[in-house]
Amino acid sequence: METQIKRPVSGDLPDEIIEKHRGKPGMLLTILEEIQERNQFKYLPGETLAEIARRLQIPYTQVYSVATFYSYFNLKPQGKHTIVVCRGTACHTKGSKALLDDIPGILGYKRDVDDGDSSFTTPDNLFTLKTVACFGQCAQSPVVEVDGVIHSSVNARKLLQIMNKLKEEETTKVLSYEAV
Amino acid sequence: MEVRINNQIIQAAEGTTIMEACRLAGIHVPSLCYLKDVSQNASCGVCVVEVKGAKSLLRSCITRVTGGMEIMTNSARAMEARKLNVELLLANHPQDCLICDRNGNCELQELTFTLGINEKRFVRTRKEHYEKDESSLSLVRDPEKCILCGRCVAVCSNVQNVKAIDFSGRGLKTRVSTFLDAGLGQVPCTNCGQCALVCPTGAITEKSSVAEVRALLHHPEKVVLVQTAPAIRVGIGEAMGMPFGSLVTGQMVAGLRRLGFTKVFDTNFAADLTIVEEGSELLRRIQTGGRLPMITSCSPGWIKFIEHFYPEQLDHLSTCKSPQQMFGAVAKTYYAEKTGIDPRDIVVVSIMPCTAKKYEARRPEMDGAYLYWKERLHLTEEERFYDVDYSLTTRELARMFREAGIAFAKLPEEAFDNPLGESTGAAVIFGSTGGVMEAALRTAYELYTGEKLGSVDFQSVRGLQGIKEADVNLNGTILKVAVANTLKNAGLLLDQIKNGTSPYSFIEIMTCPGGCLGGGGQPIPTNAEIREKRAASIYLEDAHKAIRKSHENPEIIRIYEDFLKEPLGERSHHLLHTHYQERGY
Repeated sequence: METQIKRPVSGDLPDEIIEKHRGKPGMLLTILEEIQERNQFKYLPGETLAEIARRLQIPYTQVYSVATFYSYFNLKPQGKHTIVVCRGTACHTKGSKALLDDIPGILGYKRDVDDGDSSFTTPDNLFTLKTVACFGQCAQSPVVEVDGVIHSSVNARKLLQIMNKLKEEETTKVLSYEAV
Repeated sequence: MEVRINNQIIQAAEGTTIMEACRLAGIHVPSLCYLKDVSQNASCGVCVVEVKGAKSLLRSCITRVTGGMEIMTNSARAMEARKLNVELLLANHPQDCLICDRNGNCELQELTFTLGINEKRFVRTRKEHYEKDESSLSLVRDPEKCILCGRCVAVCSNVQNVKAIDFSGRGLKTRVSTFLDAGLGQVPCTNCGQCALVCPTGAITEKSSVAEVRALLHHPEKVVLVQTAPAIRVGIGEAMGMPFGSLVTGQMVAGLRRLGFTKVFDTNFAADLTIVEEGSELLRRIQTGGRLPMITSCSPGWIKFIEHFYPEQLDHLSTCKSPQQMFGAVAKTYYAEKTGIDPRDIVVVSIMPCTAKKYEARRPEMDGAYLYWKERLHLTEEERFYDVDYSLTTRELARMFREAGIAFAKLPEEAFDNPLGESTGAAVIFGSTGGVMEAALRTAYELYTGEKLGSVDFQSVRGLQGIKEADVNLNGTILKVAVANTLKNAGLLLDQIKNGTSPYSFIEIMTCPGGCLGGGGQPIPTNAEIREKRAASIYLEDAHKAIRKSHENPEIIRIYEDFLKEPLGERSHHLLHTHYQERGY
């Protein structure tokens, strides 16, 4: 009747991250950040959040509250490549909404990604598309960040180039694997 | 100090908030998030007032008065802002009041009307549409109706220290949710229902069984028995429009009969039974060196709390089932046998001040009567039945009364049916914090000393404060006892036990503030002042009872002679006692 949330197997988690920060102010944020970084798919699975709460003896709901508040934390597996479109005012006036709308199509999917912290990850787990409120790079708007690199003054053509390069990279990899 | 409120000069003590000062001046400043003793989030913006010299409007719930302050609660600016803030809440609030459980008893609805809001000016801004959370056996959450006032989060965290819900997300996506949005039924929610009691809208309500019960009342072959918890008789009147704390035992019985229940019985009978069993259990533990302190087990929210959070202390719990469950087990065995009714045809409905009772009734182990009859009647697995079929809250009963067109206040006073309607003053005080303790002491004293009690009133365990303690003199043997209400206070006593510093032999714990009379299934509003009134009525009923000690209840004496044989005996073990389990997260 009542299914409890599964406890993860002990040893699943990088213990030393928790122990290193235990008791320090703001420990929860640091721990969440480092554990997400360590995760293969750059996200925080539910079991991990539960384990952190249990180890730190803080309410489970508090961990969830923090993890959902900051858009930095991902609760779903992220694609290998992350594309972040800036949706700040400056970028918006320079057409960032059109860029955002174009990207799923370029990747071969029909999907709307709205503003805020919703994101879209392609089913093959290669690409994640997200938005951000502002990168603080307004002078070079509109900006799009790809795998941590900010591309400035992006227009439809430039976006296509960037995306095609990414896609090519992945196709070549698949081909070279097949050749082996 | 002197402050001026709407041009009226009043005296207010240092530290008084503007809202409290206004109340002293006879002015009600509305609020949707502030709730005395529970929450002070200052998030709804409804209580804003204009203060001379202040740049912006001030939230009266959190701003303290200063000497000479000039406050206007009804200036054009304050009124406009108040109205605007409610209109903004309405942008994302569904407008389906007609079919809402809280229709007619909703603070948002009332305020919308009071402020004269007669159009929907703003469009919805929330993009997500949230599903109802119906995963719990006790409560339903409808995040669509949530106005994010935070009262439920505050009560769950600050009063109960359970923290089953909190805010998640940010901005437009802010919502109240359980861990991982798993649903109340999947997390350590104790089902206490205090969240439903403080919710200003219909975002949290009990999971209703009114329709099922109504259908069974008209079933030709079913014998539908109803039992009423002690706290219903001081709550149901309120829900039917009578003054707070009205004591309406007789009218309640009359009303239930008019609804069509075959027999109107009293959970108080089972409360007396609980006392005889639990009192005996306590004495046995004391005399045989059993696990002490022994802790009461009547309150199902508390049971789930200890199973989740202090599982290592489960053997401190009395093994007695709660009165609701004892009643069900006895009704479907003893009463069935006595009357020759097939237990499969008996439906037990309980009226409880409680949402956690719904969960308790569905615990898989609560099928003592079925097991009793299994061999005797060759019952199959498919014929398995629970001891208690449905548990309704006080609010659900009020709904049924209204539906049936019963003019409650005008009902004559009628008496409970026998034998399961016979009870003592000791049973009625179960409805208040300290009541189970007092009832147990009345019986334990006489069983232990073999002497009659002079006065049956144990004043030291009465009163609605969070934790009380007392030394009880059992003819030279001093029994140290403690009484706690709310789960936060329960946690304090459990921490003492954990640290080995608990001086007590016997502890009573009730989940809700004030005990069952402040339960999560009681009429809305329920607050400190109302709880006091309900408690006064409870003790009044006790004082007027001819018999005030559980073991002197003639029907209790008879059930032991005819059926159970002896307290803690073989039959009691199977029907009246239970076991607990660790529940983890």
